Amino acid sequence: MLFRHSSLRSHCLRPIGRLRCEARGAADGISALDGIMIEIEQLRFSYRDSVFRLHVPQLRIEDGQSVVVAGPSGSGKTTLLNLIAGILPAESGRILIDSTCITQLADPARRLFRLQQIGLVFQDFQLIDYLDVLDNVLLPCRIHPSVRLTDALRARAHDLLDAVGIRQHSRRSIVRLSQGERQRAALCRALLLSPRLVLADEPTGNLDPRNSGRMVELMLEETRRAGATLIMVTHDHSLLSRFDRTIPFESFLEHQESSG
Amino acid sequence: MTQAFYLAIRSLWWHRGRSLILIASLALTIWLPLTVRLALQQFRDEISQRAGSTPLVLGAVGSRMDLALHALYFEARPPSVITMRDARVVDESQLAAAIPLHIRFRTQSAPGVDGVPIVGTSPEYFEFRQLQPAQGELPALLGECILGSAYAERSGLKPGDTLLSAPENALNLAGNYPLQLQVSGVLSASHSPDDFAVFTDIQTAWVIEGIGHGHQEITKETDPTLLMENDSDRQGVTVNRGVLPYIEITEENRDSFHFHGDPDEFPLTAALAVPASDKSRVLLLGRYADTSGKVQCIQPPQVIAELLEMVFRIEQLVWICSLAAAVVTLLLLGLVLSLSLRLRATEMQTMFRLGCSRLTIVQLQSAELLILLLTAGTFAAAGGWLTVLAAGTAIRSLLF
Repeated sequence: MLFRHSSLRSHCLRPIGRLRCEARGAADGISALDGIMIEIEQLRFSYRDSVFRLHVPQLRIEDGQSVVVAGPSGSGKTTLLNLIAGILPAESGRILIDSTCITQLADPARRLFRLQQIGLVFQDFQLIDYLDVLDNVLLPCRIHPSVRLTDALRARAHDLLDAVGIRQHSRRSIVRLSQGERQRAALCRALLLSPRLVLADEPTGNLDPRNSGRMVELMLEETRRAGATLIMVTHDHSLLSRFDRTIPFESFLEHQESSG
Repeated sequence: MTQAFYLAIRSLWWHRGRSLILIASLALTIWLPLTVRLALQQFRDEISQRAGSTPLVLGAVGSRMDLALHALYFEARPPSVITMRDARVVDESQLAAAIPLHIRFRTQSAPGVDGVPIVGTSPEYFEFRQLQPAQGELPALLGECILGSAYAERSGLKPGDTLLSAPENALNLAGNYPLQLQVSGVLSASHSPDDFAVFTDIQTAWVIEGIGHGHQEITKETDPTLLMENDSDRQGVTVNRGVLPYIEITEENRDSFHFHGDPDEFPLTAALAVPASDKSRVLLLGRYADTSGKVQCIQPPQVIAELLEMVFRIEQLVWICSLAAAVVTLLLLGLVLSLSLRLRATEMQTMFRLGCSRLTIVQLQSAELLILLLTAGTFAAAGGWLTVLAAGTAIRSLLF
């Protein structure tokens, strides 16, 4: 074991900023985290009234790596991503993201951490219908409790839209975009606040093979440019070769009866 | 919070059909009690102001409320009349100046223009109410009248035109005939019941009632059958019904108009009494404290205060009804918003998954609700103000 549970708990109850600073130090035994973006230890999760059991004994993902979690549809890959994002609370074990133990954070702190540190791209885009493209990209700023929407952020949003080739649609209603354009807008939203970690949940699930390839290239290019770590889950094996590392998901499952 | 408002506005605009329905129902819920309150406040202010500027009113014993409304608003005809002598007694007592009022007849209605009361009074009335002619001049001759501004505007009459009084009872052939009145002027607007009346000299009012009249000079008439009796001792003649009275007072026939009987016995429906001082007011009230007499003296502010108490009770009733309607609307609003939240579950889920705090989600919902309420409130306030402004007259006529 690389860490002592009691020591971690005491750190995890403190504010995020202090926890990160102390966790980065070698004093409490968590010394080997430099260069590691995600470290998962003995993570267990199950849904109520389901035989689905997820167990991740150990998983480390290096900073700046692009990782693909591969597995069949409905195997629970999204569950793992949601656990890493702090959307689902783990039953036991720990998840350290950039030295912050998110499994021990309270719900409000976990939300804030997610908003600040993690960019999320969802399979079904989850864009807001009543906002135009630019406002959808700027949404993380608008719901952030402390980030102010500055001209610099607007310029960044425009740059991102430019990079993915939909700047000309910035004031268009999101419902008038094609699937591919929506997914690109969703990627821009995920990258707006320059997150250290981007989690993409089958972002190519609704795209044709040609657009899937382009979308993945775009994501890899943009996350590399931003210096972010990318974890993408997919069931499309044709995309695996483009990533630095592939993690087969089946090894984490103890039992499964239905999709996760 | 600025961002919450921005997102709320975008959301409301996106769902503008639903937003409009919510705003309309909320606005109506606010508008009704607000308008009633504003209208009653206006009514209260006007009626209090008019009553406050009228210290005392003399009239026949009976309903004090009817007498006050009659003398102040030219409505609610009193059950009986007083005489010119009653007014003269007050005048001669030096306690107050009496202003006679004779309000029994109305002008004839025309298409789109209802008849208004014809107020027979003395020139002191115009001075007391601070009424000035905007056009023409005050009535100086028998058969002349001056129009209230609102009536002049509605009827389109101007100085030099004529108007007809309405007969008290069109089926009574023996009753008084309509008299054609000459318009001598139009009063400037006073925003009071005076704007909705026609004023004549008290003697003209008596002519309309038939107490004074003008007719052919019988003694010079060649047709001897019209003259039934010529009593040179009493300097009077008796003529038959073949002699028609004049129904218009003109330059030529004005001198032929005359009154029969003792002028002190001529009727007044009321008289305003303007006391010389507080002491005089108290003394005058004391003189009429005996309720067994035929004349009573009332203090309009006191009588109107009693009326306002009743209005206050009506207002309370309206408030209770409005409160019930508001509760129902708010419950419906709650239902609509909760259903809307259910419809927007995906959106909320997105916010949550991105890391939006519960507080921010509450702020978003609150901002939407606040915008709906503020918009509805603004519309209701503007609507209420416009309604009272536009329908002030209608509300007044409805209340009286």
